[in-house]
Amino acid sequence: MNKRAGSPWTGCGIVAVKEINDHLRSARMLVLELLVLLTGIAAVYSAIQGLRTTTGQDAFLFLRLFTDARNPMPSFAGILVFLIPLMAIGLGFDGVNGEFNRRTMSRILAQPIFRDALLLGKFLAGLATLSIGLLSLWLLVIGLGLLTLGIPPGGSEVARALSFLLLAVLYGGLWLAIALFMSTVFRSPATAALSSLGLWLFFSVLWPMLSQFLAAAIYPNDAALLLGVQSIEQLQAQQWLSRISPGALFEEAMVGVLSPMTRSLGLVFPEQMRGAVNGAPLGFVQSLLLVWPQVTGLVAAMILLFVGTYVAFQRQEVRA
Amino acid sequence: MKTLMPFRFGCTRHGLVRSGFSAALAARAAVVLMLLAPMASAADAPGMHGVWLTTDYPTRTARPGDTANLKLKLQNYNSAPEVLELRVGGLPAGWKAVILGAGSPVASAMPGINENVALQLRVDVPNDAKAGSYRLLLSAGGNSQRADLPVAIVIGQELPAKLQLRAKLPSLRGTPKSSFEYQFTVQNESDKDLIVRFGADAPPGFQATFSEGYGSQEISSIPIEAGQSKDMKAKIQPPENTPANDYPVRINANAEGTEAGAEVTLQISGQPTLRLSGPEGRLSGEAQAGSETQFLLTLANEGSAPASNVELTANAPAQWKVEFNPKLMPQIAPGQKIEISALVTPSSKAVSGDYMATLRASGNGASTSAEFRVTVTTSTLWGILGILIIAIALMVAVGAVSRFGRR
Repeated sequence: MNKRAGSPWTGCGIVAVKEINDHLRSARMLVLELLVLLTGIAAVYSAIQGLRTTTGQDAFLFLRLFTDARNPMPSFAGILVFLIPLMAIGLGFDGVNGEFNRRTMSRILAQPIFRDALLLGKFLAGLATLSIGLLSLWLLVIGLGLLTLGIPPGGSEVARALSFLLLAVLYGGLWLAIALFMSTVFRSPATAALSSLGLWLFFSVLWPMLSQFLAAAIYPNDAALLLGVQSIEQLQAQQWLSRISPGALFEEAMVGVLSPMTRSLGLVFPEQMRGAVNGAPLGFVQSLLLVWPQVTGLVAAMILLFVGTYVAFQRQEVRA
Repeated sequence: MKTLMPFRFGCTRHGLVRSGFSAALAARAAVVLMLLAPMASAADAPGMHGVWLTTDYPTRTARPGDTANLKLKLQNYNSAPEVLELRVGGLPAGWKAVILGAGSPVASAMPGINENVALQLRVDVPNDAKAGSYRLLLSAGGNSQRADLPVAIVIGQELPAKLQLRAKLPSLRGTPKSSFEYQFTVQNESDKDLIVRFGADAPPGFQATFSEGYGSQEISSIPIEAGQSKDMKAKIQPPENTPANDYPVRINANAEGTEAGAEVTLQISGQPTLRLSGPEGRLSGEAQAGSETQFLLTLANEGSAPASNVELTANAPAQWKVEFNPKLMPQIAPGQKIEISALVTPSSKAVSGDYMATLRASGNGASTSAEFRVTVTTSTLWGILGILIIAIALMVAVGAVSRFGRR
């Protein structure tokens, strides 16, 4: 095994800037951003309509911009859970195989740029583009909230909203890593896109149902079957299985951060809640601690997927 | 007889006969009565003959500016009725006297045989009348008979105002929180109507209010007619936390320089009052799930009697551990404060957030409880573990780079 010569980061910045440039100018990105923007704004607008008619006091009114859902619109956060993967897949599905198809890969690598730098640059560019889009959307929501609600958000609300933004970027990063992985493994962009979208549909539509079914299969319980309910083991297994889906992780983390009254994301037994003060919000740090496993899962999965992509990419033949 | 008249006109023949019979019976009864009356008088005063002018109290007192009223009686014993001229003699200069009969001034009277006429002498005493005894001569004289009555009006020797006050239950027992109600009677023993004011000499902080016996309005004074008495009620409220003791209170009634009083006693039996408070008055704190946290509490006896055998207990969520040090206190004197450390261990399975624990101190005769709000925080251990997992993922990345790098 030869020793590497020179820094792997050389050229990473250039690749990233060029990629961001491409992304932001592409029609594909424009369409995706418009889709997210329109649905997101519609959700926030309907949430604002709801908030303006409520008279009750809420210390975290601003956060409800993100979480309130009014028929027929889902909440802003719910829309993001569904649409962020679409954006990320759109940005990443032809990241590597596109270069092969355009026969530009060997040309790029003829420059003093390592493969590490190319892959990382592409990933970082996708992440940056996603972050720009989400940040502008987030600022738009906050601005709309300020305009229509007429009250400034508190310090804790700002911290929670910011961590929500960060979570959304991490979630997008995970899907970006998946898309990049697919684009590295499959030579055809269409196959990569289809498999990424398939995975997205599987996790967002099929997996919640499957996890319940699998939980019942792992822990068969006749009494529960007879009564049409789930036993505690089944519920726990279902929850753990469902957490394989990045969307479930993101949703749980979002609930923990955006609803301060959330005290637990798992099963809670009544005896654990005896003497508990209902509706008392947790501190920001406690909420963060609550969702920390989910955040860890998102970050670790993203890194591992990137490593997988990296290994696959390094082992590929470029000159073909 | 007149009451029978309708029968006479409106009834049948039988009825008419019956009414006539009744009328005759009534007339006979009247004759008997008329015969009896002079016989009774004659029996009272045998051998009396003539006209007499009398009064019950021929010497009476008055103050300058007052009007003295004397009740007179002109009595005729066994003599023919006659017009008797009434005169008042010996009236000092500036005095006015008038004789009234049936409410209006009269100059003469005429009593029938063995009958009397009630008269009244009204004397207006001038404001500048000097002290002393003034004699007046009243006379009633006719052609054949004459009666004289010397009376005296004494200025400056009137009866002084005098009150008497009697408490019905002069000693009551209670706690500092109860109100002590003393029923008492005030009697005006003078010959004048008085406005009586009430007051109480009580230890500082004691509040006394007065009301009529069954009234609810608080009053400070009440008019009492001459010779009459009133039932009154004095309500005395001791201040809270009055130490156990006997407290004498004097209830006073005074009017126009005279005063009467009665001593009543409040027997206050003490009562312990416990209060449990947190550090700096706060009743909240933070504790980590599964680990012991110490809270400093203060147990104070703010009552007026010692509390004994005070035990501290806690009603906390399930699987929590709450220990007190000290747990049992044999005695807490009034005003004493005891520092207590409560060791709270939330259940290791406790979900983070706010919980309520009820802390209770109960002893003989007193108890208190305080709601203590515990904010349970979870350990940051899991957070560190998460960072470790991410670090491992990064290590894998670094390993991959070093394994497959440079191409």
